[in-house]
Amino acid sequence: MFEDRRIGLALAMPAAVFAAALFLAPVIILLSEGFRGAEGWTLAPYIDFFSSDRNRVVFLRTLKLATLVAGVSAIIGYATAFAIVSLPPASRGRMFALVTLPLMISPVARTYAWLVILGRTGFVNQILVGSGLMDTPLRLLFTETAVFIGLLQLFLPLMIISLISAMENMPRDAVPAARVLGANWVQVFFKVILPLTREGLVVGGTLVFTGSMTAYITPAILGGSKVLMLETLLYQRVTVANDFASAAVIAMILIVMAFSANIVLKRMATARARR
Amino acid sequence: MSDFVSLEGLTLAYGSTIAVDKLNLTIAQGELVSLLGPSGCGKTTTMRAIAGLMSPRAGRITIDGRDVTRLPPSKRDIGLVFQSYALFPHLTVYENVAFGLRLRSESDLDAKVRSGLATVGLEAFADRAPKDLSGGQQQRVALARSLVMQPKVLLLDEPLSNLDARLRLDMRMELQRVQRETGITMIFVTHDQSEALALSDRIVLMKGGAIEQLGTPEEIYSAPVSGFAADFVGFETILPDEAGGGLAWRPGAVVLGTGPHQGTVIGTAFAGERREYVLGSALGQIKADAPVSAPPLRMGETIAFDLPRERAVRLERLN
Repeated sequence: MFEDRRIGLALAMPAAVFAAALFLAPVIILLSEGFRGAEGWTLAPYIDFFSSDRNRVVFLRTLKLATLVAGVSAIIGYATAFAIVSLPPASRGRMFALVTLPLMISPVARTYAWLVILGRTGFVNQILVGSGLMDTPLRLLFTETAVFIGLLQLFLPLMIISLISAMENMPRDAVPAARVLGANWVQVFFKVILPLTREGLVVGGTLVFTGSMTAYITPAILGGSKVLMLETLLYQRVTVANDFASAAVIAMILIVMAFSANIVLKRMATARARR
Repeated sequence: MSDFVSLEGLTLAYGSTIAVDKLNLTIAQGELVSLLGPSGCGKTTTMRAIAGLMSPRAGRITIDGRDVTRLPPSKRDIGLVFQSYALFPHLTVYENVAFGLRLRSESDLDAKVRSGLATVGLEAFADRAPKDLSGGQQQRVALARSLVMQPKVLLLDEPLSNLDARLRLDMRMELQRVQRETGITMIFVTHDQSEALALSDRIVLMKGGAIEQLGTPEEIYSAPVSGFAADFVGFETILPDEAGGGLAWRPGAVVLGTGPHQGTVIGTAFAGERREYVLGSALGQIKADAPVSAPPLRMGETIAFDLPRERAVRLERLN
């Protein structure tokens, strides 16, 4: 369109300057905190961070829970998405609305609901104790399981939605065609559905993984200070210890993990498809 | 064997809607039978049930003497060419054709795939992606993909409806050649009477989930049993007779210029070798053809016409 590329560049400048000044620069300043020591640049904050047992536990727990939540939501997501796209159009719309409904409710409210269900005198314990299965209430809150359940419930809709849109883009009749050609359901999944929905899986997996990793409210309410995740640890470092170096380190770790997750998921998806 | 494929009391339903009601049909080995009817008549549903993609509410399906009613599609020895072709977009043409053979871990897979592609004249396209092929080529890949499995029965869903006129003729000849060479039993579903008439040994005309008429193309074309059947094969003028049945005329059977009835021309169309008219009359709308050699009628013109009894087909019932 533009006869001179420079005109195009010039027109892009205001937006570029705006993004650089207000978004990129603060991120760089924030992250550089993690490399600044008493005498100039250093990796000391990173070494300090990872030499603490507690920090390593929190790091590995965050990685583990985010991976588990992404993995389990993929399994549940595929089953749910396939069931929904197999429905006639009218009920498909209703089910899709049902899936998106939780996204319109505040995560705080959704997480507090789990307090009511999982608490000492909550719904689950009332049934367990009331029916005589248990003598004393189980401790369900402030465990990794509670955080896992909360995160799964919070982010599963994103996986289901990604997979539904991927499945709707599969050619009609690809699944019946594979079945007629002799594939059982496992083969249909690995040879047809998975390769044809891998972009959806990468999108959904990245959303769920990074979402779980960076969620604050859910681990804060359901895990508390007993089950710290990177995000709750970050908040604690800043508000309680005024330790901005650790906070910057954690922020950096979260960014690196998010990008790595996306790359790893893409690799996994293409590797599976080639076979 | 006159009952190579048999459907006994087949009832199919979507939820509470009955799509096919107690259907009985037998098909001989090597026969080419078409299921013909308007959309919603149950023809595609019947085909999906034969393929095993839908379980019947009641009834039995046997193929080559074996009860397959409860078997999954993979165990039925059938092939299915979908209307949408349903090629796998993530695989090459070669891999599409090899898909079923690989699942069976078949020996000399390469030779079978190559000869399958050769059958449909697409050897040169083995490494292409399906999306780089034309519609007609994609359909031939789908056909090859089914044929290499050497199914006992080949099901085809509207095999010609997505093709343009020239390709239709090619594909029709292709299907007839495949059928001649392999002697495979074919069942194909269509809403197009000319397709069914041209290809089939027998036609199953369906209406509302049941068989309306079953017969050879000649019988279906020239001796419809009901108003519905007549209307479907081009009898445009259908009137009740004294005996409770009906009489039906094709547009070419209506005599223009003389006769006891009067009609006003309310539609005209030039169709090459003839002119087609629609007349408004006391008997309702009458469609009539006239040779191009006859002087053309103008819109609004009044003309005498006759519906000669000897040119009509007698229908057992009106609808």
